[in-house]
Amino acid sequence: MTSPVIDTRGLTKRYGDVVAVEDLSLTVAAGETYALLGLNGAGKMTTIRMLLGMVRPTSGSVHVLGTALGPGAHGLWSRVGYLVETPAAYPELTVRENLAVAARLRGVLPRSRVSEMIERLKLTAYADKRARTLSLGNAQRLGLAKALLHEPDLLILDEPANGLDPAGVAEIRDLLRELSRDQGVTVVLSSHILTEVARLATRIGVIHRGRLVRELEAADLNAFLNQRLCVSARDPESAERALTTAGFAPVRLDTGALVLTDARSVREPDAVATVLVAAGCPPTRLVVEQDDLETFFLREVES
Amino acid sequence: MIDALATEALKTRRSRVPLVTAVVFTVAVLVGGLFMFILQDQERARSLGLIGTKAALVGGQADWPTYFSFLAQITAVGGIVVFGLVSVWLFGREFSQNTVKDLLALPTSRTSIVAAKFVVALVWCLALTFQLLVLGLLIGVALGLPGLSAEVLARGAAVIVATAVMTMLLTTPIAFASSVGRGYLPGFGVIIASVFCAQIVAALGYGRYFPWSVPALFSGLAGPDQVPTGVLGVVLVGATGAVATALWWRNADQDR
Repeated sequence: MTSPVIDTRGLTKRYGDVVAVEDLSLTVAAGETYALLGLNGAGKMTTIRMLLGMVRPTSGSVHVLGTALGPGAHGLWSRVGYLVETPAAYPELTVRENLAVAARLRGVLPRSRVSEMIERLKLTAYADKRARTLSLGNAQRLGLAKALLHEPDLLILDEPANGLDPAGVAEIRDLLRELSRDQGVTVVLSSHILTEVARLATRIGVIHRGRLVRELEAADLNAFLNQRLCVSARDPESAERALTTAGFAPVRLDTGALVLTDARSVREPDAVATVLVAAGCPPTRLVVEQDDLETFFLREVES
Repeated sequence: MIDALATEALKTRRSRVPLVTAVVFTVAVLVGGLFMFILQDQERARSLGLIGTKAALVGGQADWPTYFSFLAQITAVGGIVVFGLVSVWLFGREFSQNTVKDLLALPTSRTSIVAAKFVVALVWCLALTFQLLVLGLLIGVALGLPGLSAEVLARGAAVIVATAVMTMLLTTPIAFASSVGRGYLPGFGVIIASVFCAQIVAALGYGRYFPWSVPALFSGLAGPDQVPTGVLGVVLVGATGAVATALWWRNADQDR
């Protein structure tokens, strides 16, 4: 097995008595898209900044691309692209100049890379406009362009969809997928936009109060989501009686809808429908619902 | 380091701050010229309304040595403000505009970025000093001040340049404050404190032991015999400020 792209052991950051991150051990393999999911203040930002060497851990270690982080390890950053929090750019410089500055600081890159990134992130119309005139969405594109400029092996992104409209979000998602698929770029991102994470990540780490409370494969996510059958009928009382008699355990909500959480109802909604039709109160609505990620997430962090 | 320098130079060139500092220095030289003009003939100045009818300026004679000494004092007092502004901008702007985070995880080390900023500050302030000298000379010649000789010129220019360099050294704590305080205001605070303390301590008579008073004393009294201890202090302050700034950039948590 190749060595992990990111490997943290017992990573802890304390500010006086406040524990921002506690005993966080995280391993991200090459080619993964790893999402750190957490509420505001959960420790995502501190974790990301420790991965980038911007914040020094109180204890524990961070290895990125096989190198232990420290002030002397700056050579490693030529292989890492990052975007932390709200994008910032030099307001008096144009988009092109901002990218040129980033390119120089990242080592000598072919000048064509700047134009390529401008095109790729659809900034052509703004290339020679000063960065101060950019909308938040375009500033975010510029931030991503800076992060991708040097074709990094590892991308660390804090809320990459920040400020983008739905079309922009989809576009960035496609871009990140493409980078991951075609160039094997490893992506670590943090987010509180749960649906975004579910669509993009291959693995998800739930972070809460500085601790990694759960890690799961995105493919397994569905297994963690509770399902239930929701039924409506014109006469909810009769429907409830009929279902109870047939051995189901419906729960009637204030709205009159009936909810069945047992595995059989979820698996065989047709059987439920048959019982209702036979009892003379056919369903007006019958639907299998699944926890959204919000519910999942809140359940995870509260348990 | 070359890359860091190139980017700092580009950022500076694109900014309006160099223009502002150049304008401030120009105004300062013009004020120097105005004083010489008044000193040349106080009756004329009075009739032109430049000074009150009963006022009289006591500042020496309208000649080149006085004029040079005046320009040197402008460099010392105006310098800490204007050179300080340069440092506040170069360092504080990265924090105020939140661009610092893009400078932290790069193949270019943070120390080279700090060094590049100090080099740009040095070049910038030297350029301002050069501007002051050239403009000062032109105005002096235009006023027809007496007593210009190669010796007077060389001595006057040397005092101004030496004053400027000492003042530049005193701006490294301003760079440090702008970094640690993450913005413009702490830097401005140190500028004000520098000017204030320099005046007070000089007035108390201990100026030559207090680095921040040394450039002004040097420019005014121009007594090389009483300066060495003071100059050493200035160099120490400059070096300490620069090293502290570099170490802070290298080691401090960047979590805001």
